[in-house]
Amino acid sequence: MDNNYNTIIIGAGPAGMEAAYRLSVFGIRTCLLEKEAETGGHLLKWDRIFPEGRKASEILGFMRKRIESGNITTITSARIDSIRKKAGNGYEAELATNEGKKTITADTILIACGFKLFNAAKKEEYGYGIYNRVITNADLENLFKTNSTGSIIGENRTPAVGFVHCVGSRDEKAGNRHCSKVCCATAVKQAMEIKEAYPQATVYCFYMDLRMFGRHYEDMYLEAQQKYGIRFIRGRVSEVSEDCNERIVAKAEDTLSGKPVKITLDMLVLMSGIACNPDSGKITGSLSIENDSDGFIKYADSIFGQVKGPGIFTAGTCTGPKTLPETINEAGEAAAVIYGYLKGNSNNF
Amino acid sequence: MEDRIPGGYDNFVIPFLAGMAFILAYCIAKLIGIIMHMPSDDRKKLLLSLVNPRIIAKNIADIFSDCLLHVKIFRKNPKLGYMHMSIAFGWFMLIVIGHMEVAEFMPEKLHTFYYPIFFNYFVLKTADSGTALAVYEFLMDFFLLMVLSGVGIAVFKRFRSSIVGMKRTTRPLTRDRIAMYALWAIFPLRLIAEASVAGTGGGGFLAMSIYKAISPLMPESANVLPIWWAYSISLGIFFFMLPYSRYMHIPTEAVLIMFRNAGIRATNAETGFSLLEQYSCSTCGMCIDACPMTNIAEGEKNASVYFIRNLRYGGGKSSTKSIANACLMCNKCVAACPVGINSCELKRRYRSADYDGMPARQYGFVPSMETHPATIGNTAGNPCMEDHGNRISASYAIAGTKGQSRGVDSKPHKTASCKQNEDNVYNKKAIYFSGCMTQLTPSVSRSMERIFKAAGIDYSYMDRDGGLCCGRPLMLAGNDRDAASLIEKNTGIIETSGAEILVLSCPICYKVFKENYRLGNIRIMHHTEYINGLIESGRIKIRRTDEKLAYHDPCELGRGCGIYDEPRKIISAAGHLAEASENRESSICCGGSLGSITLTYDQRSKVTQAALESLACGSPDRIVTACPLCLKTFGTYSALPVEDIAFTVARSLEN
Ligand SMILES: Cc1cc2nc3c(=O)[nH]c(=O)nc-3n(C[C@H](O)[C@H](O)[C@H](O)COP(=O)(O)OP(=O)(O)OC[C@H]3O[C@@H](n4cnc5c(N)ncnc54)[C@H](O)[C@@H]3O)c2cc1C
Ligand code: SF4
Ligand code: SF4
Ligand code: SF4
Repeated sequence: MDNNYNTIIIGAGPAGMEAAYRLSVFGIRTCLLEKEAETGGHLLKWDRIFPEGRKASEILGFMRKRIESGNITTITSARIDSIRKKAGNGYEAELATNEGKKTITADTILIACGFKLFNAAKKEEYGYGIYNRVITNADLENLFKTNSTGSIIGENRTPAVGFVHCVGSRDEKAGNRHCSKVCCATAVKQAMEIKEAYPQATVYCFYMDLRMFGRHYEDMYLEAQQKYGIRFIRGRVSEVSEDCNERIVAKAEDTLSGKPVKITLDMLVLMSGIACNPDSGKITGSLSIENDSDGFIKYADSIFGQVKGPGIFTAGTCTGPKTLPETINEAGEAAAVIYGYLKGNSNNF
Repeated sequence: MEDRIPGGYDNFVIPFLAGMAFILAYCIAKLIGIIMHMPSDDRKKLLLSLVNPRIIAKNIADIFSDCLLHVKIFRKNPKLGYMHMSIAFGWFMLIVIGHMEVAEFMPEKLHTFYYPIFFNYFVLKTADSGTALAVYEFLMDFFLLMVLSGVGIAVFKRFRSSIVGMKRTTRPLTRDRIAMYALWAIFPLRLIAEASVAGTGGGGFLAMSIYKAISPLMPESANVLPIWWAYSISLGIFFFMLPYSRYMHIPTEAVLIMFRNAGIRATNAETGFSLLEQYSCSTCGMCIDACPMTNIAEGEKNASVYFIRNLRYGGGKSSTKSIANACLMCNKCVAACPVGINSCELKRRYRSADYDGMPARQYGFVPSMETHPATIGNTAGNPCMEDHGNRISASYAIAGTKGQSRGVDSKPHKTASCKQNEDNVYNKKAIYFSGCMTQLTPSVSRSMERIFKAAGIDYSYMDRDGGLCCGRPLMLAGNDRDAASLIEKNTGIIETSGAEILVLSCPICYKVFKENYRLGNIRIMHHTEYINGLIESGRIKIRRTDEKLAYHDPCELGRGCGIYDEPRKIISAAGHLAEASENRESSICCGGSLGSITLTYDQRSKVTQAALESLACGSPDRIVTACPLCLKTFGTYSALPVEDIAFTVARSLEN
């Protein structure tokens, strides 16, 4: 098979996979590049998906089936050594793959390289990487998947568990001013899952304000309070320490009652946010596309989306935090725009 | 030698004399004003210093090296040093030798102010003058040439500051320009004037050769007077402009040195001693290149020189304030200033004026002694951490604020010498105060606990369950009074602990404990000093690896407390030390400083990037710092791993 395609898709997360599928339906030949050994992106790491709690593995299985098409060449463990505009039209990328070096060309590029989870160790005051009982949302998903929350909580059937919202989001000091959008809903979802597993548990959510913006999200929030008795405390956790039993002591202020609180916990879960993928800067840099000051790729138009640059398109969280359905939607839209572009409609929107 | 002009006088000396009379009167009046505005204690200090032989000797030595030879500038920048030295020292020698010449040949004229200045015009060289005159003539021309070379560099520097190795230089004001052009004109005019009368008044190698070249073209008697007028006028203008221009630093610096050696410091930003500091600023601009705010767009306008200029000329209050509030208080400009102006202290004093007349804040979070250890968050009261702070209402005993502020000295106190009882210091009970910042960096306090345990030290952890702020952030914001109440509380806790050494992880706390606390015999050590002592005395053993470690000198620990070597010794014991391109006194602020009240995170991040670039110079594997605030700030932006020196040691412990 030759190495010329209509579209190179960078990143086989939900955005890249969905776009590849949509394009294949249009008969457009794509090369789907994934740097990891498996397709799936962050979906691989999650256990259940809000708001309904569907299994991520099922969703991923469905998506993987859809990209089994003659029009899609999927290359995993692919490293992009260089990517640039060819003389004339189209683009050229040099790859290092498991089968050695390879050069591929295409008329268009779809950037779907996704996000990077904020490194919670950077907020050292929360003690991630220092105290064993402090974990992140991603770690907790993994514990749920492997049924091993006990490895942190121990035998205690009446544990106290805390969730800290906005870790590395809405935080200028951490270099991220933006809201990550998905972590409020994730925290509520995970808090309920803890209560499912430990009905006697006391669960706290420390939030600045709750952004339950999506359809049915508010229902989740009500259910969390009414059915599960989760305690929502409005206020930032100021610092975290360990007591002599190696349990976690979190200090915060309840800004609604104006009182300081100090709570001893068996597990503290940090809601790490969606930060930009530093790879995207390298990719856009060689394609002369801009990134915003927050690190995410800049849209050409704040309403119609897409980027400046002929034949270059984006989908998913590389342009900012998005939920899974939003990501899927944008991938479909990108496929339609690429189809139009290849048919001679140069209007990006 | 004899009088060429009968009576030894001509009207052209009037501009010079008028200027001279004006500047003398002005200086005396100003000095009296400054002394009157000083606290009476300071006046006493000044008087005592004038009869203290040790201080007198120091005054003379300092004035000679700082005002005439400009040794400090020389050390930092030889070309710039030469420029200053040649003008100042050359001019000084011209005046001294000029007077000696008059004393030798026309002693009866010495009492006139002008005669030594315009000597060559008034005298007629006679055959009997002998070799002594030739020596004087040579010396006078030699020093004139020296001054001219300095002026030449100065003219050049105006147009291309890079010629003397400066990236940026100050924008001169119109008044400075007028004085500057007058100054530039004085010496060439003097040379031409002296050359024009070299036939009668004599002259050295310079004047004589010019005389020989121009005399055939110019009949002497007719044209010399206008040139002497021009010379005198340029001197007159310069003297008249002196108080209104940067050149006021020439007479003021010597006075500043005397006051400083007497132990006098600024007590406010606008009167008394601080006026001397303002007038002593030569606007040399060395503080601009030093300032990390130059990495921020438009940040250059916040350099210390512009703050001082605003204070002096009464620049708009709002802009003076915005400069004072933006400053990171990293003290880099102070370290760079050849005059030693403590501009950071002036800014702090300027800020503190805001608190005058304000009622003392009621700090509800200051617990009474009985309730310590406090059960509440301990970051409150630190105005720079408002988003983490627990603003807790009442319910705790309110601490009195009777304790008067002890102010902040620029120099650390000499505490009991470290060297004497070195061997048994580490057997003593220690108290560890981590401070608000370290509470947010548990890797540091945990490492310290591991180190204490490995060394088998009997220690208590003062603020494990929450403590009070050390008070420094309030002081930096200018609020000394409220800081005093925190100091009082902490002192009580430490004194009752029975410990003999206080160990601190945070240089910000360390500085304030050293300078503003009175803890009697309790030794105060930063953890870099303490850990280094533990290593040197063999109480802990650490593994050495091949890792390259860059060390960042935290502002408050390096420039603030003069600790540069202990951390380097520790690092060299744990790995290889990779120096930053700007290190020690020139180390760049991490950008997270509590000192700035107004810089945004975006602006601060530019400072952080500059510091990280400097640290990357030796291509290190890790960056090591010794301040929890630097650790947090670098951690956000650094691509390399960043750790505290206590962590470096704890992870390398062998015992
Ligand atoms: C903790 C958490 C929980 C979440 N839970 C939910 C939920 O319950 N419901 C919901 O709707 N949404 C949820 N989301 C959001 C969801 O994960 C994202 O919307 C989705 O993963 C975005 O997909 P993506 O393809 O844009 O990015 P990603 O999932 O990040 O995929 C990007 C892919 O690109 C690859 N890649 C990156 N760089 C390169 C490169 N240079 N070369 C080749 N490949 C590269 C990556 O390896 C990755 O496979 C959650 C997010 C977080 C952080
Ligand atoms: S979604 Fe919620 S937790 Fe996440 S950043 Fe936004 S407000 Fe914070
Ligand atoms: S403050 Fe010091 S360094 Fe700055 S311009 Fe004045 S004299 Fe020079
Ligand atoms: S203290 Fe630092 S930031 Fe402030 S003016 Fe001086 S060099 Fe600049």
